[in-house]
Amino acid sequence: MPNPRKPEKETITICPYCGVGCGFKAETIGNEIVRMTPWKEGKSNHGHSCVKGRFAYDYYRHPDRVKTPMIRKSIDDPWQEVTWDEAFSYAASELKRVQATYGRGSVGGVSSSRCTNEEIFLTQKFVRAVLGNNNIDNCARICHSPTQFGLTATVGAGAASQHFDSILQADVIMVVGANPTEGHPVFGSMMKRRIREGAKLIVIDPRRTETVDSAHCHADIHLSLLPGTNVAVLNSLAHVIVRENLHKPEFIKARCEWQEFEHWAELVGSDEYAPETVGPIAGLDPEDIRRAARLYASGPNSTVYYGLGVTEHSQGSTGVMCLGNLGLACGMYGREGVGVNPLRGQGNVQGGSCLGSWPHVFSGYRFVTDKATRSSFEAEWGVTLDGEPGLRLPNMFDAALTDHFKGMYIMGEDPVQSDPNQNHIISALKKMECVIVHDIFENETSKYAHVFLPGSSSMEKDGSFTNAERRLGRVRKVVEPLAGYQDWEVTVKLMNAMGYDVHYNHAGEVLDELARLSPAYGGASFELLDRVGSAQWPVNKDAPEGTEVLHMEKFPRANGLGTFMLTGFVPTRERVTEQFPLLLTTGRILSQYNVGTQTRRTANSMWHAEDVLEMSLGDMQTRGLRDGDWVKVTSRFGATQLRVKESVRVNPGVIYTTFHHAESKANAVTSDLSDWATNCPEYKVTAVEVSKVTTDNRPRTDTAQQRPQHEERREPELAEAEG
Amino acid sequence: MAESIGTANVEGEVIDLDHLVVMANQIGDFFASYPPERAREGLRNHLRTYWDPRMRTALLEHIDAGGDGLQERVIEAARLLRDRESDKSGYYGPPKA
Ligand code: SF4
Repeated sequence: MPNPRKPEKETITICPYCGVGCGFKAETIGNEIVRMTPWKEGKSNHGHSCVKGRFAYDYYRHPDRVKTPMIRKSIDDPWQEVTWDEAFSYAASELKRVQATYGRGSVGGVSSSRCTNEEIFLTQKFVRAVLGNNNIDNCARICHSPTQFGLTATVGAGAASQHFDSILQADVIMVVGANPTEGHPVFGSMMKRRIREGAKLIVIDPRRTETVDSAHCHADIHLSLLPGTNVAVLNSLAHVIVRENLHKPEFIKARCEWQEFEHWAELVGSDEYAPETVGPIAGLDPEDIRRAARLYASGPNSTVYYGLGVTEHSQGSTGVMCLGNLGLACGMYGREGVGVNPLRGQGNVQGGSCLGSWPHVFSGYRFVTDKATRSSFEAEWGVTLDGEPGLRLPNMFDAALTDHFKGMYIMGEDPVQSDPNQNHIISALKKMECVIVHDIFENETSKYAHVFLPGSSSMEKDGSFTNAERRLGRVRKVVEPLAGYQDWEVTVKLMNAMGYDVHYNHAGEVLDELARLSPAYGGASFELLDRVGSAQWPVNKDAPEGTEVLHMEKFPRANGLGTFMLTGFVPTRERVTEQFPLLLTTGRILSQYNVGTQTRRTANSMWHAEDVLEMSLGDMQTRGLRDGDWVKVTSRFGATQLRVKESVRVNPGVIYTTFHHAESKANAVTSDLSDWATNCPEYKVTAVEVSKVTTDNRPRTDTAQQRPQHEERREPELAEAEG
Repeated sequence: MAESIGTANVEGEVIDLDHLVVMANQIGDFFASYPPERAREGLRNHLRTYWDPRMRTALLEHIDAGGDGLQERVIEAARLLRDRESDKSGYYGPPKA
């Protein structure tokens, strides 16, 4: 749609909505964005984009934006608007009071993957150097923490081994628990292009997703496994591969720990993982498991892309290890067209992972328990650091319930809406004495906050993002921050108010500091990014402009070899019962962004006004349900109401919903089970029952709450760039 | 800065004990595939690297009180946390060969 007004200025920046990290040209008149066009030179999008990046930017000037800091003594009091200085000094004095009363370990912080690398780095610095403990976590805890754990264990680096373009060399594409055509549209289009050129597609997912079956995308093999059986099925693929000698001994001998391979082959080769055994457990035809294994092993170039359908399980880390094992066994590492790659949800999940917003590692994945690492940070920051791991996000809430955790700095996150078991989190927040929310809108969590610091959107700040292919790119300030400060400046001022003296002239100086303290980012600087556009880490002396494909000659482990983890299948404790006979699993759709804080406040709501529950016809009939009925979904943990829709995308016994709207409270029903290694919540499996709600006892009438729109727009589903 | 980060003036476990037992046993389940000695070492290492010291203390106190509900494997491994010999330097992170 041509825009009649002539822009005064163009700024190149990055879309924050998903891990593709498309480059955009933002056109402005004064302090107003008039158009966003995909940037042709963007190396992850090559001039393409989707509806989120192109049209969902209006939120930055939505009337709901908070522009003035607010404080209150109790969450029952109304907010009181104050100056920035008053807010900082109140927040600082409260944090100090809480620490003096309950101990140094009674406070912590959480950062978000919506934040820039610089902000994430500063949040960890605030917690470690100023609060003096390691209670720092980030929202990757609830999505991709198993990626870091599982891939580090097998191949030494918790990140995608490939760049996106690598898929154009793939012969077999295996997508596990992800739906790139909806979740990562621009990458999804690239995948479709490769499939049109003849690449084979295997999809492992309980749901017949748009990736399995849509206009330009058909899976050759779809393993529609029961939620919660990933590890059994992946082990079964491995079983077929080792039993039929489809693995690559030369690769394993040259590049991996052979002895570990033998242990692993013994485990997965056992009868326990034969397709005939696993098939019935997972609801699959054993022959389909065999076909998938043979196809993956035959390559010659096979590549894996996976998402939250792998990680958000009680065996999430084990599932990721299974993928690493498979890649190593079949020699699918160290060149283009192969590899194992996480598809990240939010814009900067990879950065969130790399930059030390974890209770056990500093930036660069180096352990707080390691004295030498600690010393390098102590030298740079001028304080003594705590050498014990801190509390993880879910454990912070657990510890709040026992009165051990009393204060929290929450940057750009909404745990009440996005974390599992909502009721538990609300009770935990109610017990805290100093909750500081730093965000652009009031959200579900700020209802329980004592200090509200207005944030800046990614249009209003300088910094960098790291996308899902490890690509570091510049986020540039397009318009002035509405509330006066960029987010990183607010964190610095909070540190100052706490008595820690630090100053940066601009965000680039924060990147310089984090580059000194994080080996993979060693060569990164604003200067480099301005010059080359973007660079994939590791970027350092040996690779001054970055690295496209990892693990070319060796794996970044102490001995340089990849290794095999023993991935026994342990069924989740969450099982169907007579009372809760259905398995609920969750996902996302194209036009909205996760919990939708931003996209819901744009015209994109027109495409997805509410979350609906997908159910198979048979399950609907036994419950007397019809399309569009309001239903109550009940689990052991809580209940919520949604509209039901008949769907051929789910098998009988399985139901599915998205989680974009606070009103649908999908997390009121999800369980408190979590990944064994990382506590990443098990969002993907909850046993539930569904029953019909009559209109009279349906409490809410206005679920598809429409926000005022700035401009009337109706655009096709996927807006690929012109040219 | 003091070595310990104990929470002042607050009694009791940092996390509900039942929850802690579930978490510890889940780690135990993962290491069940490993030979006993490596399972113990991996488990100990995991608790040392990823658990807040207050959670480790609570687990050890529970073990001293009989370790009700915990897998034998977890009890043996957690006891190694008290054993200086097991504290190999640089031995952190995910289980290693
Ligand atoms: S694919 Fe869409 S949401 Fe993702 S970065 Fe590109 S424009 Fe943004």
